[in-house]
Amino acid sequence: MRGAKSAKWVVGAVIVALAATACGGDNKDDKSSAGAGKGGGTFSLGLVEPVSIDPVNAQESEGILVTDNLFTGLYEPTADGKVIPALATSKTVSDDGKTWTFKIKPGTKFTNGEVVNAEAFIRGWTRLAAKASASDVATPNVGGIDGFEALQKGTGTTFSGLSAPDENTLQVKLATPDFEFDVKTTHTSMSPVPKVAGAGKNQAYNDAPIGNGPFKMSGKWEHNKSITLVRNDDYGLAKAHLDKVNISILNSANASQLEYQGFQSGQFDWARMPTAQLTAAKAKYTAQGEWIQAETSGMNYLLPITDNGPLKTAKARQAISYAIDRDAIIAGVFQGMQTKSTTILPPSFADVYTKDLCVSCIKQDKEKAKSLAAEAGLKPGDELHFGFNTGGGHEEWVQAVAQQVKDVLGLNVKIDAKPFKELLAAQQAPGATGAYRFAWGADYPTPDNFLFPLLDSKSINPDASGKVQGDNRARYNSPAFDALVEKARSTKDTTARNEVYKQAEKLAMDDQALIPLWNRTQFRLVNTKKFANGAMDFHEDPNLAQITLK
Amino acid sequence: MGRYVVRRLGQLVVVVLGATMILFACLFVLPGDPVGSIGGDKARDPAVVKELRAHYGLDDPLVVQYVHYVEKLGKGDLGEDYTQGRSVNEILQPKLVNTAKLAVTAIIFDVILGLSVGVLAAMRRYSVWDVSVTFLTTLAVGVPSIVIGMILQRFFVVELGWFPLISDGSFNSMVLPAVTLAIIDAALVAQIARSTMLEVLRADYVKTAVAKGLPRRTILTRHIMRNSVIPVITYLGISFGGLLGGALITETIFNWDGIGLALITAIQSQNNPIIVGVVTYSVAVFILLNLIVDLLYAALDPRIRLS
Repeated sequence: MRGAKSAKWVVGAVIVALAATACGGDNKDDKSSAGAGKGGGTFSLGLVEPVSIDPVNAQESEGILVTDNLFTGLYEPTADGKVIPALATSKTVSDDGKTWTFKIKPGTKFTNGEVVNAEAFIRGWTRLAAKASASDVATPNVGGIDGFEALQKGTGTTFSGLSAPDENTLQVKLATPDFEFDVKTTHTSMSPVPKVAGAGKNQAYNDAPIGNGPFKMSGKWEHNKSITLVRNDDYGLAKAHLDKVNISILNSANASQLEYQGFQSGQFDWARMPTAQLTAAKAKYTAQGEWIQAETSGMNYLLPITDNGPLKTAKARQAISYAIDRDAIIAGVFQGMQTKSTTILPPSFADVYTKDLCVSCIKQDKEKAKSLAAEAGLKPGDELHFGFNTGGGHEEWVQAVAQQVKDVLGLNVKIDAKPFKELLAAQQAPGATGAYRFAWGADYPTPDNFLFPLLDSKSINPDASGKVQGDNRARYNSPAFDALVEKARSTKDTTARNEVYKQAEKLAMDDQALIPLWNRTQFRLVNTKKFANGAMDFHEDPNLAQITLK
Repeated sequence: MGRYVVRRLGQLVVVVLGATMILFACLFVLPGDPVGSIGGDKARDPAVVKELRAHYGLDDPLVVQYVHYVEKLGKGDLGEDYTQGRSVNEILQPKLVNTAKLAVTAIIFDVILGLSVGVLAAMRRYSVWDVSVTFLTTLAVGVPSIVIGMILQRFFVVELGWFPLISDGSFNSMVLPAVTLAIIDAALVAQIARSTMLEVLRADYVKTAVAKGLPRRTILTRHIMRNSVIPVITYLGISFGGLLGGALITETIFNWDGIGLALITAIQSQNNPIIVGVVTYSVAVFILLNLIVDLLYAALDPRIRLS
């Protein structure tokens, strides 16, 4: 869901720390010391109005930018797809993968003085799961914990699977084995909350959350106007350096333009840019060390409907994939600013990334495309429905893909442009056919976060009418794939588990269950004249807690 | 007069109800579940969708939903938005103030700039001044506000740094959006003022006044201005109504947190309660302003009778 609203086609991978700044190394030594040395400074940026800045419903990149700086949980994701401890000092998991025990760093506090202990985590997770909170991020994160259903139905008020054997020990009992539950705790919704948080719907707290993060709110969230953060000097881990972060809230229709203008006029220290201006901006700001480019943890695909219509067979899907000249589109439409993708998983997941897994993605092959189409019974003149959403800047490349498929295979490609929610409804509807524009961004760094929701048959989840409620809207249904995901999930050893995920990805790729297009490459500008250490984090946000004055 | 006003206000209620009904029906038949996603490719948890649909009464038939809406509307309650679950009244209230501030400023610019330029042009007919006014106003009317706005922003904010980029409601941040809005309107006002003035200048009562030996000033203010201002007021009334309904493009360019911006964002995210709220308000304001303009006619020209 993060970053999904606008240009979804950009895709991702490894963080590029700012090619930074020939500064005199005087800002290195204060990295862990509290606000000493090169502390201070006000960092300004523009941001689209978040959905929520309270962990109970924080989900998209914008909401997480604020929430992550107000709260600190057990673990954190790094930009290159690793998981590092935050408040957790140790973790143990039982051999059956159903009981997790976390030790929590003792003695840290919320900004109102309350202690952050196991109870604070239980409080936060219970609040997240409560029916009345209607949180979008409950099921994916705490849905596997014993007692979740009672909370969701509203029949219980306590989370039976959570307990605190002592002040700083959190025990989690899961309904089904999950050897990656620790990874889920990196999600910002898994933060501890103080007693004042109250219920999930609590306007006063929703708009001015009291947390335990490197920053705290100054005043409340002025909706559509501003959010102001100031450094939390009582932070329990390495303290932030900036005094203050000014966030101006921008409208989604014009945000990247405003951010770029703001950066040019010196009013913002961090900015996105309109796609049309990327080339010029890159030329101008690379020389000054202010250009950040990173392939983040997201991917862009064509989503083929695999249970109905012309793309039912793997050969038909491969024919489409071979017919697309990704290099030409990247050069022509994206001015070379994107990177072709040949996998389902993003390159930022370095431990599992296996380049060129998608053989049909490597290079356009018209002959192979034609022969595969013939074998699959796809004839020139056959109709292929191709849906995409308007308002995301997708028009140009969609046209190009459609034209290539038309030229190579002679298919009658019907482009169908719809607003976002209509497009989603069309993908979900029983009887959908053809292909759709599709993108996916990881909520946490694990292959499971792509493979299970996008391709496991359990993620189809049709309702009584046949409407697909899960995220496997390709309707890919392969018992062999499901078995591999199941096997991976029940493998305790991380390296062994990743091997199984790699096998699963290969199987899905051989079946062409998705048609990879290009990575999610993100571009930012950061003010290196005034600040050092600026980089993009896992959520494509600035790493505010690490930024220092120069 | 009193009865006239009451009757017009009665019409207002009928029109507002009609407008909400049409809008409601349109939004209802739109495909796609307004609470089906938060805007991304990820589908919402079915349990959350169910909870939200129940909360907003989206599973009720259209008629039932509409009746509930009108009941609340009668109490001045516009409901709750779909994205953040906040009260629409609370969301729109500061935006209404912002839009009104911008509209008033723009109209003041309009009047000052448009009237003075138009009157001067008429009084120096066919002079260089008059010809260049005609040329420039025609040009200004032809350039869309998106172009004017972006040029002003680029030049005065990014290059010169005279004004803040992000509007915070202060006068300084209001100048550029107000000028953007005023330029096109002022050009039209100048053209209208010029042509009606020219007409009035040739009228018999003006000749009579001149013959009577009245001071030039008196003729200009009492006879000419008062009679030539009616078409201008008609235009300004309509224009002000439009401005109060939110300037979609200008508010977007300058990130002015008004209801035009609210409407655009709401349409993009199918946030129906906001859409209905903004449109209901705009319709009401438009009708009210038309009424005020009609009343002003009568005040300016006693020959006009309201009935």
